[in-house]
Formats: sequence, structure tokens, C-alpha cells
Amino acid sequence: MLTIFHRLAAAVIKEIRLILRDKEALIILFIMPMVFVLILSLALRDSFHERAGVRFALLIVNQDRGPVGDKLVEIFSQSANFRTEVVTANGPVPSAAALDADLRAGRYKFAFRIPPKTSERALRRVQQQLGLQPTGKVPEASVALTLLSDPTVRGDQRALVQAALNRALQGVESGMLLQQFAAIGKRLAPFAANVPGVPALRAPKTLDAFAEVKDPDETGKPYKEQTPTSVQQNAPAWTMLAMFFLVIPLSVTLIKERQVGSLTRLQSMGAPAWVLLAGKILPYFVINQVQLVLILIEGMYVLPLFGGDVLTIGDAPVAIALVSVAASLAAIGFGLLIASFSRTPEQATTFGATSVLVLAAVGGIMVPKLVMPPAMQRLGDLSPMSWGLEGFLDIFVRGGGVAEVLPECSQLLVFAAVCLIIAVWQFARRMANVS
Amino acid sequence: MTASPIVEIRQLSKTYPGAGRPAVDGVDLAIAHGRIFGLLGPNGAGKTTLLSMLCGLLPPSSGSLRIRGQDVRHQDAAIKRRLGLAPQDLALYPYLTARENLAYFGGMLGLHGAALRRRLDYCLDTAGLNDVADRRVETFSGGLKRRLNLVIALLHEPELLILDEPTVGIDPQSRRFIHENLKRLNAEGMSIIYTSHYMEEVEQLCDEVAIIDHGRIIAQGSVDELLAAPREATIELRTSVPPPPAAQAALRALAHVHTAEFDGKFVVLTSAAPQTVAPAAMRLLHENGVETTSLSFGAMHLEQVFLALTGTRLRN
Repeated sequence: MLTIFHRLAAAVIKEIRLILRDKEALIILFIMPMVFVLILSLALRDSFHERAGVRFALLIVNQDRGPVGDKLVEIFSQSANFRTEVVTANGPVPSAAALDADLRAGRYKFAFRIPPKTSERALRRVQQQLGLQPTGKVPEASVALTLLSDPTVRGDQRALVQAALNRALQGVESGMLLQQFAAIGKRLAPFAANVPGVPALRAPKTLDAFAEVKDPDETGKPYKEQTPTSVQQNAPAWTMLAMFFLVIPLSVTLIKERQVGSLTRLQSMGAPAWVLLAGKILPYFVINQVQLVLILIEGMYVLPLFGGDVLTIGDAPVAIALVSVAASLAAIGFGLLIASFSRTPEQATTFGATSVLVLAAVGGIMVPKLVMPPAMQRLGDLSPMSWGLEGFLDIFVRGGGVAEVLPECSQLLVFAAVCLIIAVWQFARRMANVS
Repeated sequence: MTASPIVEIRQLSKTYPGAGRPAVDGVDLAIAHGRIFGLLGPNGAGKTTLLSMLCGLLPPSSGSLRIRGQDVRHQDAAIKRRLGLAPQDLALYPYLTARENLAYFGGMLGLHGAALRRRLDYCLDTAGLNDVADRRVETFSGGLKRRLNLVIALLHEPELLILDEPTVGIDPQSRRFIHENLKRLNAEGMSIIYTSHYMEEVEQLCDEVAIIDHGRIIAQGSVDELLAAPREATIELRTSVPPPPAAQAALRALAHVHTAEFDGKFVVLTSAAPQTVAPAAMRLLHENGVETTSLSFGAMHLEQVFLALTGTRLRN
């Protein structure tokens, strides 16, 4: 028992030393995917936002201490299209220059200021327009709000937000109007009771003759169509590619060991084949897990520093671990399969890289499956990399847990087992015929 | 010295799938304990196949193979502990240092802790690699790699050391170093099987020799026995210029000459009466305008035994 442990330890230490001294392998396994995640998450950020529905960062500087300011803040805070931050008159109010700088830096896409005494001025204006203010007073002008925006915002988006703001202001106006009617109604009530045919005037807070125009309900949308953000797509996608790229170092080291005769020597020493196999699988399994953790850290903490979205990973760490383990075993099984059928390291590198890239392209790693036509999506469902990616998306985007990722994990594990069985069969066949 | 056999091979054959003829063909061999046994033959003669079967790496097509009386096919693990194989290829990891290579293979043998360290030191000492123990093997010369390749086979103190062409492509200094070490290990009681296609090596080093060609053992015995065996002598001549066709025909027709081979300025004759043929051949060449620059016959060495047995030179 102890001997087996020492043999396994020797095999793992050897393999780790070999990998750490192989700069090309380190670049392929760690640097390449992390660079890809960074570049593509940033490059594709906006196009993913558009697919997911627009959600703009909005700053409201509310210097009004009245109901109008409160109402506007409420409307925008509740809107699904805005991520709203509010500065109130109680806190320090940013200067025009600071606001401008924030917009230029892209911290907010839009901002508007609700000037002091907006509620009072608006009320006066409404009452004057309705003729309810005593005459002779200085006429009150319309209150002007200015919408500021990030200079890179597209014109159509700016128009949309302007329209949303105007619509909100109209809502506030009609609310004020209804209030005035309510006050008049109250005063007329005693008279109305004495005049037949004149109903008592009721003044509701809001009118809703028309239902609000909305997107179809998001929760009613098919589960799989909920869209990821750029980083939610790219981080797990390139993790899958990075995991599968271990095919190259794994198969190359194995073939070299066969070529130079160290496998022969190990066999002659009576080293059990399963120890040799476990000595290969364990270190690469650990490498896969490190790849995932590094890329998650990159998405959660590094990417935001470059202006990217924060990677949100749901709240099912066990499910993440499950997908990661299954995906890693699938990648290792595939690597062993390639190694068992290749005669030279060059063959393994060429065939390994080509097959991994094709599986990645088909499986929605490079181009998300969302944008593929249905036939291509069905083809992509055959790629093990797609199973791993969908597993991660279940957790990150759709709030799935262990139960939701079981189908993908099962597919990956079956794939791993089939690869391993064929590889072991092929190795045994080769070994019986060594010269 | 009466020595019990450590290896007994009977009617051993191996035919690879799809191959037209067997790589090893009905081999019978008995190798005595405590000897250095040379297995001599040209490349492709079947040496490595024979050793692979001996080490349990390759199943025989037929025949039996016993080490210390135990059938190799049935006593796999126990027998493997008695064997140390240094394969013909440099079975090393270039990115690892000499010490790391030894530690890995030692670990795979189940060695650890103080026992492993003791064997590492022993092997580094034996190979004379102490000064370069912590250098990566990729920086080693061919000779240093060969030495390391050899001592890895000593890690588990085997009874029988099997060396497949251990001196291919190395400098004379490393070759001498390896030979001295092998003699010392043998004096300490280790049995050694040594394959080579270099005649002189086997002649200098081995107590017993088997000559293998086309998968068959064509001669076996002590070096002295093989050299003393009565058979046609070989007469080798070097000439100033390649003999013209007329001279070649005349040499073939010379009395007592059995065969004549020509290779540029190199002439090899076989004859049962070398004392008569040698001067006659020189005279005949002289008459054809060809001078003899060197002549040798009588002092047999294994190269000539091989030539006499197979009619061909060792293929390099």
C-alpha cells in the first residue's frame, strides 16, 4: 500500500516537474486562455449587452427635496433598463466637471441633475397654468432637466433614454394634474351633491388607460435562451478550450516516453500500468482546476479593472466543481486517446490541436451558440466542450445548481470513460507488439 | 567453475503480426550465473526481441523462458525484481536532472526515504556523475547519458543486469569507464547479459558468447572455444589499388581457395590451407600489377568467426 503511494508520488512529482519546465506548455495552458478571456470579454462586451437587452449605468443627482425628485428616482430605480445610482442633496453633490469626468471615463453612461426646489417650481407652474394661482405673481417657467451622457454613447441609445426621461416627466406631470383635480374635486363636493347629474369627482393617483408596453416576460423565456454577459460567455468558454489544450502536452510527453523507451523500462521494472496512468491523470487534473480558478479570479477581479463586466458565477460552488471535474476528465480522456493513436509527437500536436480547435469552433467556444443558426447549434451539441460550457452557463447565467448540471456532467463522464477505454485498449495492443 | 544457469531458454520463437519470418527462431540458450554473457549479432538480428521476451515485455510466440527456474510468464513481478534492464534507447527525461531521473525511476520501483537516497548516491558514484548530478540531462554528452541510462538499471540491486547495446555512439573514454564498472559489478557477483554488434567489446568483456543472426543462434560457447573451433581460416589482404577483374578471377580459381570476396582495396579469402594460399595470392596479385600492403590470417577474432559462420560481415 505504502509502495503504491510512493510510486504514485514519484510519478506525479516527475510529471509536474516536466510541465513546469516546459514553457510552451505553460503558455498554452495558462497564458493563452487568460489573455483570450481578457481581450474577448472586453471586445465583445457591448454586443453581448445588446443581445441581453440594454441596461445603462445612470447617475441621478437629486437636489430636489420634494416629491418630484423622489418620484423620478423611483421610476428609474425600478426600470430594468437602468442600473441607477443616486446622489441626494444630503450628501456632497458632484460638480459639473466631476460629473463630466465620470461620464467620459465610462463610469456612467447617462446622468441628469434634478435641481433644487424642482417640486415647488413645478407645482407653481402647474397651478399657474390651471389658473389656480393668484394672478399678479411672477410667472413660473418650465423646469429644465438636462440629460448628460458618455460621449461614446450611440445616438439611438441617447434618444431612447431621452424618451424614457420625458415619459417619466410626463408621468410626474399627470400625477400633479390629478392631484390638482383631486383638490378641486374636494372643494366642489358639497356643491356637486346638490346638483343632480353631476357625479362626485374622483381623482386617482395614476391613470392606466393603456397597459405598459413591455418585453415578453423574461421568466417565461425558454431556460436555455437566457443570455450571458460577455464575460459569462468567454470565461467558461476559454476555460474549456484551455482544459482541452492539455491534449498537446499530455500526449506529447506520453509519446516521447514511449519513443525513448522509458515506458519499456518502467514495464521492465514491474511498474503497474495504472500507476503510470494515474501519474499522468492526477497532475493534469490539478492543472485543469488551477486553470478554472485562475480564469474565474480574472473574470471576477481583474476584468473590472479594465472596464469589463464583473463575472458573476451564481451561488452553486458544488455544481461548478462538478462540471469542472467532469470536463477535466473528458479532456484528459481525449488527450490519452490522441496519444494512443499517434506515433510521433508531431502527429499528436497536429491532430490534437486541430481536433480541439474544431470541437471548440463547433461547440460555441469561439462564437457563442446563440448567434448560430439552429442546424449549427444542433451540430454544436455534439461537442464535449459545448457540454462543459453549457454546464457553466447553467450555473453562472441561469442560476442552476447540481441538479441542473447533471445532464452535462453525465455526458462528459461518459465521453471520458469511452475515450479512456479505447485508449487503454489501443495502448495494450501497441505494447503487445513492441519490438 | 560450475555455475547454475540463471537463464534457460528453450525453443523460443517470436513472430510479429504481419511479419514474413520470425524475429527470433527456435532459440536455445543457457546462461550461467555470475558470468558476463555476450549476445552478438548485427542490427536486426533479433537481439532486442530476445531481450524483450526475457524481460517479460513481449509474449513469446512459442517456447519457454525461465529465470532462476521460474517461468517468466507466470512469475512476472518476482522475476522483474531480479532483472535490471538498460534499454538501447536513452530512456531518460531530458528536462530532469540526473538525480531527478534516478529519483523518479527509484520511486517507481517503490524505493523511498533513506533507502532511495542511498541507492541514488551509489548510482551517481558508479556512473561518475556526482559533479553533474543536478544538471539537466539535456545538457549531457552522449557518454554521460549512456552512463546514466545504465545505472538506472542498478537502482534496485538486480541479480541479472541486461544491457542492450550500452555503448552505442559514445567516446572511448566513456566506453572504457562503462567496461571497468561492468567488470567490477560482475566481480561482486552480478550476472550480466551484454548485447552488441561490436566484436572487440564482446571479445574483451564477455566470458561466454552467443552469436545470433536472422533470429537464430549460430554459435555459442566461451570466447576461447569459439575462436579455437576448427573451421576454414580467413585470409585478409589490403592492396595498393582495387584488384582488376582478371586478378579477381585468378584469385577465385587459385588452388585451396574456397570463397573470395572483394570490397575495393580489401580482399577476403577463405581456405582450409591458409599457409599455402597467402603467399600464392600475394604472388598472383603482384603479377597483375597489384601490391599487397597488409596481410593477416591465423589469429582469429570474433569478426572472422562471424564471417566464417554466416558468410557475411557484421552489418554496421
